Amino acid sequence: MLDSLYLSGWGAFGMTIFMFIPFFVVFMYVVVKKSFSDPNPTTGDGNYAKAEWLWLGFVTIVFVGVNIASIGYMPTVATAKAVASGEKITEVNFTAESWSFDIPEVTIEVGKPIRFSGKSNDTVHGFAIYDPHGDILFTMMLMPGMESPTSLIHTFTEPGTYLVRCLEFCGLAHHEMRDEIVVVGSKG
Amino acid sequence: MLTATKILQKTPIFNKMFPVDESDGLEEINSWPALMIVTSFVWLFIAGLLGVAMPLVQRTGMDTHFFYQALTAHGAALAFPFSFQLMMGIGLHRSGGCAGKPIKGWLPAAIYICMNLGAALLSAAILIGGLSTSLVLMFPLPVVGVETGQWSFETLVLGFTGVGLVLYTMIIFYPIQVLKMAFFGDVREDLVLSARTLNDPGMLGMVLAALVLLIMGTPILIIATYVLVALFGIIPLDAVAWATSPVVFEFAFFVFAHNLMEAMALMVISGIYATLPLYLADGTRKLYSDKLANLALWILLLTSFSSFLHHFITLFPNLPATLAYHGNIMSWGTGIGAAISIFTILATCMKHGLRMTPGLMMALMGFTLYILDGASAVVTSNVAWSFQLHGTMWQSGHTMTVILAMSMMWMGVIYHHYPVMTGRVLEDKLGYWSCGLLTFGSTGAALVMLAGGSAGMPRRFADWGQGGWMVYGDAIQFFGLIIGVAFLLYAINLFKAQKIGEATRSAAPAPAE
Ligand SMILES: [Cu+2]
Repeated sequence: MLDSLYLSGWGAFGMTIFMFIPFFVVFMYVVVKKSFSDPNPTTGDGNYAKAEWLWLGFVTIVFVGVNIASIGYMPTVATAKAVASGEKITEVNFTAESWSFDIPEVTIEVGKPIRFSGKSNDTVHGFAIYDPHGDILFTMMLMPGMESPTSLIHTFTEPGTYLVRCLEFCGLAHHEMRDEIVVVGSKG
Repeated sequence: MLTATKILQKTPIFNKMFPVDESDGLEEINSWPALMIVTSFVWLFIAGLLGVAMPLVQRTGMDTHFFYQALTAHGAALAFPFSFQLMMGIGLHRSGGCAGKPIKGWLPAAIYICMNLGAALLSAAILIGGLSTSLVLMFPLPVVGVETGQWSFETLVLGFTGVGLVLYTMIIFYPIQVLKMAFFGDVREDLVLSARTLNDPGMLGMVLAALVLLIMGTPILIIATYVLVALFGIIPLDAVAWATSPVVFEFAFFVFAHNLMEAMALMVISGIYATLPLYLADGTRKLYSDKLANLALWILLLTSFSSFLHHFITLFPNLPATLAYHGNIMSWGTGIGAAISIFTILATCMKHGLRMTPGLMMALMGFTLYILDGASAVVTSNVAWSFQLHGTMWQSGHTMTVILAMSMMWMGVIYHHYPVMTGRVLEDKLGYWSCGLLTFGSTGAALVMLAGGSAGMPRRFADWGQGGWMVYGDAIQFFGLIIGVAFLLYAINLFKAQKIGEATRSAAPAPAE
């Protein structure tokens, strides 16, 4: 359940709608009511103060809850956990240059932690992995001139061919900057 | 007569939309702001054409470089000479009338000339020279583009000169003009339309925004100046290597760019706080609580400083995780400020009732769009979601929506300032129509672009067919055209405005603030 909320763009879309629609309905209700059907003042100062605290309390709880629940799904946290586990990490050190990637031939296995470390040789590039269904797994930003690479540890759960796209605008052939990686089933 | 008045009177379309003269004794607060507002609409028109061109280029299979040129020029025109100039126009008019200070002399002229000349040079570099870097420059792409033969060195110099002039307007000239009016000089009683102090939420946001622009913009201004001086060959390029290091330039740029948006938000929310009380049914002319309103502005101010870090979450570990989490938390903190604004506005409506007008409706609908945008912004600032959404159409949807939302709120507020500037009033029916269409078009476009991002559609990407995203592109085109019609109706309303008293439906304007 939380997987599909935090590990998918559609989860983000759902959260945005969850925050917007109730607001919009209440806002429009109040605006229309107080403009046309009942423009008279609504009194009762005690109620306003109570509503103020209820509303701000509700917002705070939602904001804190949503973010705390997301911690386990942050790639930064997943990376730290994989390092801490002491498990052997497969290294994939790649580079990006307008308008292609140079990704080494490394066997990428389901269930094994893979560290993707990338550098850019010219301008800012992205490195986004799309799963075989066309959904983004994660994206990384590669900035030229940095000492150390941008890097993340990811553990694949499904074998198949994964498309790689640059998601940082990098010039006139930016949309052609693509590559592929193949993930194989676990060899045990 | 001020130069601005002369330009307004002699330029064919301007004199129909914003006829300003000396007869009302308010020329000194009306002219420059009116000129900025009407010029911003010219840029909106240009940006609109380019916006429509983008999906069209993809649909018709034209060369992809046209797409990137249209994208860059569209974004640049929309963000700076349209929305920022529109905001400066209304902001200066409000400051002038609240503080009783004239807007005249070299400073407003510098604001106007640098903004429009700069935007024109940048547009020429993009549309003629082919400089395609997107709105945010993507440094070092401008330089790499020269090295790889995508555009010429001369084009780069032209474009950067334009950017430099625009930056000087936004970071130096405009903030100084606002601060000068707020804190210095003698009050001219004949120019005071509605005195406001800094305790007033309607004034506080103006001043905070000016300070944010000045303070948060200074680093990028220093860097841009050094780079420009080197590009002109006055100092060797090697001498600015510290400034052209991608990470230095990018971080300084986003500290400014992010806070620019937040400053504009501060200003427009403050504009709503100032305008809403004038349209209350019981005539109290007071917000539910000034203190609560000011608290929202202070929270927005403080959280905005460091929430820019959310632009770099996916740079991990080059952006240390702790700073990513910090950007995450600060961004959601901005949401608390927005939640307080929501409460203040709704409680004010409930407590005092509303005297609805098209201008107020447009401002309020702009506010709902601003909240939709805010929700999309905090969601993508969460570290988990950022890795899903960064670089997708989601971000373009967010950028476009925040600009549209703020512009819509300002265009609502214009209904209130227009009678003071021109002695004419806008018509209600056309007003409601443009407001309705703008709300529908903008909300639709926002949702479609967010959905495109959710589906993995990249932003700034000339081949939407690649992942089956053309359907989102077509929907963006559809809603974009509706937005275009809405703006057109708004412009027609300005053309057709009638003198106060002659109007068939007297929408007797409340005294301006
Ligand atoms: Cu790239």
